[in-house]
Amino acid sequence: MTLTQFVAKQAFRNKRRTGMTIISIGVSLLLLTLMMTVWRAFYIDQGAPEAALRVVTRHRVSLAFFLPGSYRNKIRSVPGVVNVVPMSWFGGQYKDDKPENFFAQFGTDPAEAVKVYGEWNIPPEQQQAWIRDRAGALVGKKLAEKHGWKIGDKIILKGTIFPVDLNLTIRAITDADDAADALYFNYSYVEEAVGWAKGQDGMFAVRVDSADDVPVVSKAIDDMFRNSPTPTKTESEKAFQLGFIAMMGNVKAFILGISMAVVFAILLVSGNTMAMSIRERIREVAVLKTMGFTRRDVLTLFIGEGVAVSLIGGLAGVALANVLVHGVANSPAGGMMRGLSVTPGTLVVALTVAAFVGLVSAFVPAYRASDLGIAEGLRHLG
Amino acid sequence: MATSELMQETAVRTKVVEAIHISKIFSRDTFEVRALDDVSIDFYEGDFVALMGPSGSGKTSLLNMIAAIDRPTHGQMRVLGENIFAFNDQEAAQWRNRVIGYIFQTFNLIPVLTAAENVELPLLLTRLNKQQRREHVETALKLVGLGDRMTHLPKQLSGGQEQRVAIARAIVTDPKILLADEPTGDLDSHSATEVLEILKMLNEDFGKTIVMVTHDPHAASYAHVTRHLEKGMLLRL
Ligand SMILES: Nc1ncnc2c1ncn2[C@@H]1O[C@H](COP(=O)(O)OP(=O)(O)OP(=O)(O)O)[C@@H](O)[C@H]1O
Ligand SMILES: [Mg+2]
Repeated sequence: MTLTQFVAKQAFRNKRRTGMTIISIGVSLLLLTLMMTVWRAFYIDQGAPEAALRVVTRHRVSLAFFLPGSYRNKIRSVPGVVNVVPMSWFGGQYKDDKPENFFAQFGTDPAEAVKVYGEWNIPPEQQQAWIRDRAGALVGKKLAEKHGWKIGDKIILKGTIFPVDLNLTIRAITDADDAADALYFNYSYVEEAVGWAKGQDGMFAVRVDSADDVPVVSKAIDDMFRNSPTPTKTESEKAFQLGFIAMMGNVKAFILGISMAVVFAILLVSGNTMAMSIRERIREVAVLKTMGFTRRDVLTLFIGEGVAVSLIGGLAGVALANVLVHGVANSPAGGMMRGLSVTPGTLVVALTVAAFVGLVSAFVPAYRASDLGIAEGLRHLG
Repeated sequence: MATSELMQETAVRTKVVEAIHISKIFSRDTFEVRALDDVSIDFYEGDFVALMGPSGSGKTSLLNMIAAIDRPTHGQMRVLGENIFAFNDQEAAQWRNRVIGYIFQTFNLIPVLTAAENVELPLLLTRLNKQQRREHVETALKLVGLGDRMTHLPKQLSGGQEQRVAIARAIVTDPKILLADEPTGDLDSHSATEVLEILKMLNEDFGKTIVMVTHDPHAASYAHVTRHLEKGMLLRL
């Protein structure tokens, strides 16, 4: 036996209690890891470097209002703008209206879109085919796999916003994460078929020549249309997504609040258990000291025990979070969560929190126990 | 044995414990408890001493002084020539590990550790490697007749066996002094005799100096000398 094994055995002397502690720490750390992952994805991750060069221009009031097609060339004239393409939500039905068959469909201008979305990285011959075919479609790899689509397959999208059914041919497939669950087609298909849609675009994706120019360019675009009947709102792609979740409330404060409550709760739970478990061993501490264990040895043993138990719970929680995030990120219903992952940084932070919880919760009872005089400890009953 | 012979014999033996005017006073709210009242006593190498006295007479307190577990209000203690009350916490701990084996009335084994692991505990503080530790543990357990119970947990042992494991734990670092606080107090007479035989063997064959607190005249009969404490005072021989 080594001191480490001694600590391990002591940690599990009351299996049920230690098991409960591990589970509660595990669940808390699971929650914390999920929170941190979402936080990270929305507030820290800048996404693909390509995304940092993109801004999205939409109607100032609502996503539901269209922008005039003429804006495309006006935006193009703003210094710093390299490319502009329409991105219009089609919202069609594939096969039926079942949620599992729902996916994002955007009408765009393929020839220029491939320049705005460099990360699509489409094989040249497929890219050519998609640009050439006005009824061609580009689809994300995951979406294609899900529906068993191959290049050349024909699919029908039934219009819900626009009174037209699109007969599309799969011409290109991209494995870019951001496009994994989406379909892109040539918007002129809709414009030709639906009279009122002509010159009406949902929004514009704009490529800027350098990330540093993003704020200036965004402001210049919005300033240009400020006094027109159709004012715009331009923001980075990231900010655009953030605005999307902001609709659900103050997510940032929510995440922070929950995380802090979680850490506080596990501190209480684990502190209470450690205190209980150590109080039972007052006499044993005195016996150990009689054998030659020092105050510091005892403190180290107990803190080691607390940290070990916490870390086991933490590891379990983090592992489970990893599995969950992976599952959600790869599921069709993943939505904004797709492409998410638990980063090594998040993992380290979560485990540090676990270790910290173990340390803090063990410290006070451990210090008290280690500090008690031997004679007094030996007289202690129980 | 004539008094002169006794004096001659003690004169050549090494003084192991030298308690000099030890007093221990506990102050409670309004009055004081004199757990030890000016106790002076010497123990020599190879002594087997029984300490008797009524409950509360200071027997445990005296053992605790010898083990540097507690400090006196007044007085000095030299153990193997060292002034043990000058030790700091860490020095006292290391010294106890080396010099003192302590046996309790209630065994005080750690329930989640096997017999061998309980015995090994004091060795975890030494420089011995795994193999050496295992050898020491085996030797100690065989000495108390439990070589075949190494992997048993305390709850799988009888009281007498538990106390023998506790003795093995006390002797595993080969300390010069064994302090036993009513080691047979929780045992039936058969187990008590086994334990006393072991203490006797440790004293006679291994030269351990033993100070044993007991209420039991049968146990005291194993000792060479019996000393009595009363109200913290040592009665004259
Ligand atoms: N921490 C303490 N605070 C107050 N009084 C104490 C303390 N420790 C011991 N005493 C008192 O000192 C006296 C001697 O105690 P000690 O434990 O040495 O007696 P003992 O002879 O071992 O008794 P027993 O046979 O019951 O074990 C007792 O009156 C006891 O109540
Ligand atoms: Mg006592």
